[in-house]
Amino acid sequence: MQIPTVDEKGHSRAKQLTDEIETTLTLLRSSPGILGATVLSDEQMAQLMEPWMGDEADLTSLPLPKLIDVTIDTQNPPQLEPIITELADQVPSAVLDSHRIWLANLIKMANGMIKLTSFILLLLIFTTAFTVIYSTRTSLAVHRPVINLVHMMGANDFYIAIQYAIRSFKLTGMGGIFGLLVALPVILGISYFFGSIAADFSIPFTRMQWIVLYLTPVFFSCLSFLTTLQTVLSTLKRVL
Amino acid sequence: MTQKPKLSSSIADFNGVALKYANGPEILRDINFSLEPGSFHFMTGESGAGKSSLLSMLYLDRMPSKGRVRLFGYPLDTLSRSAKARMRRQIGVVFQDYRLLNHLNAFDNVALPLRIAGAKESDIKRHVSEMLSWVGLEKQMRAFPPELSGGEKQRIAIARAVINRPRILLADEPTGNVDDAMAKRLLHLFLELNKLGTTLVIATHNQALIKHFGFPRLHLEHGRLQIIDSTVKQDNMATKLFNKGDKND
Repeated sequence: MQIPTVDEKGHSRAKQLTDEIETTLTLLRSSPGILGATVLSDEQMAQLMEPWMGDEADLTSLPLPKLIDVTIDTQNPPQLEPIITELADQVPSAVLDSHRIWLANLIKMANGMIKLTSFILLLLIFTTAFTVIYSTRTSLAVHRPVINLVHMMGANDFYIAIQYAIRSFKLTGMGGIFGLLVALPVILGISYFFGSIAADFSIPFTRMQWIVLYLTPVFFSCLSFLTTLQTVLSTLKRVL
Repeated sequence: MTQKPKLSSSIADFNGVALKYANGPEILRDINFSLEPGSFHFMTGESGAGKSSLLSMLYLDRMPSKGRVRLFGYPLDTLSRSAKARMRRQIGVVFQDYRLLNHLNAFDNVALPLRIAGAKESDIKRHVSEMLSWVGLEKQMRAFPPELSGGEKQRIAIARAVINRPRILLADEPTGNVDDAMAKRLLHLFLELNKLGTTLVIATHNQALIKHFGFPRLHLEHGRLQIIDSTVKQDNMATKLFNKGDKND
């Protein structure tokens, strides 16, 4: 939190400053989720400014605002909106600096990405199904003599279809496992990267979500299996 | 196989059958014959006379464009796809070009019909080994078709056709690519099967063999079928030759 010591025209606000600091501190300390609020001393301010001003600078001549260090309960973080509203009402000059504000935008963007990813996943499901359909039809055309032969030996449509479907299941499963092995370090890397930006922004994978992720190859294998089975059955009925 | 009652004890009944491909002319016309269980027939005729087409109807690859075909007593036009598949398992076919699968070795080629029928692997191993010994190819069990001679491929094709003890064996020019000695040896293999009760139809151009074994002929000419039997009267359409096979053996 910061409370300016001069007004917009550069005039000192020393008169009301003490009251405003008191009001702000009272408000903050009484808000749930806030563990403490302390005004930074001149020494602490000097330490903060040292990288820019050096250790010999006289800060009293500068119109530095008064800073209040607020410690929040990370387990039970405060609702910022009511605090901001209350402050705007009681201490209009007070400014709240919270990384949460820009983080909220980042999270909004991330949520947008989740929606986009869901759409891409849906596209992938359709693409996989269509790829399987066309590759199966091509394979049936290429292996027509073999299919004719086993058909003449008494293989029914389901027998032929299940041979194709099992192969398709295995191939998709192998591709899926390979994809998962590549994806896992990427996901963990991204999670680590965002987690290092802010604790709030780490990728919140629950156990169930991890299980879903691990089951993705199985899901696509099953999709491939059923698509192949149906494609072969319908193609055989048409051509044999 | 089907709920419909059996109407005949014959292996195959062709009644007024014709066959044409798409909108082309009829390749076969007015075909009438029946094959009794345990009979042995040669099928003869010029190249292009329709021998392969007639055989293809017998192994359910083609359906007649006219007339009625009954196999094992069941009319084909009433059978479901799965019933036809089950019926095909009772039919062994030896193709002129063998149609072996080059990516499978001799053992697996012969085992294919049993695997399709869902036999146990232990039974498959036993039966296929016995069958390969029967055709004299137990040493080539692991060889792939490209590594085998014409005669060996022919015997693999025959072993595959008979491995599941078909009720009828159809062979299209099975002696076309082998010398006379091998042709006779193969015919003796067929005779052994015939003795076990399998009905046989062998399409061939080999006049020496026809003469030597003397079985009745299903002769095709200009798309029509004539039955030529040197031992039985000409009008006997269904000739049972089980005993005759013994005599010729």
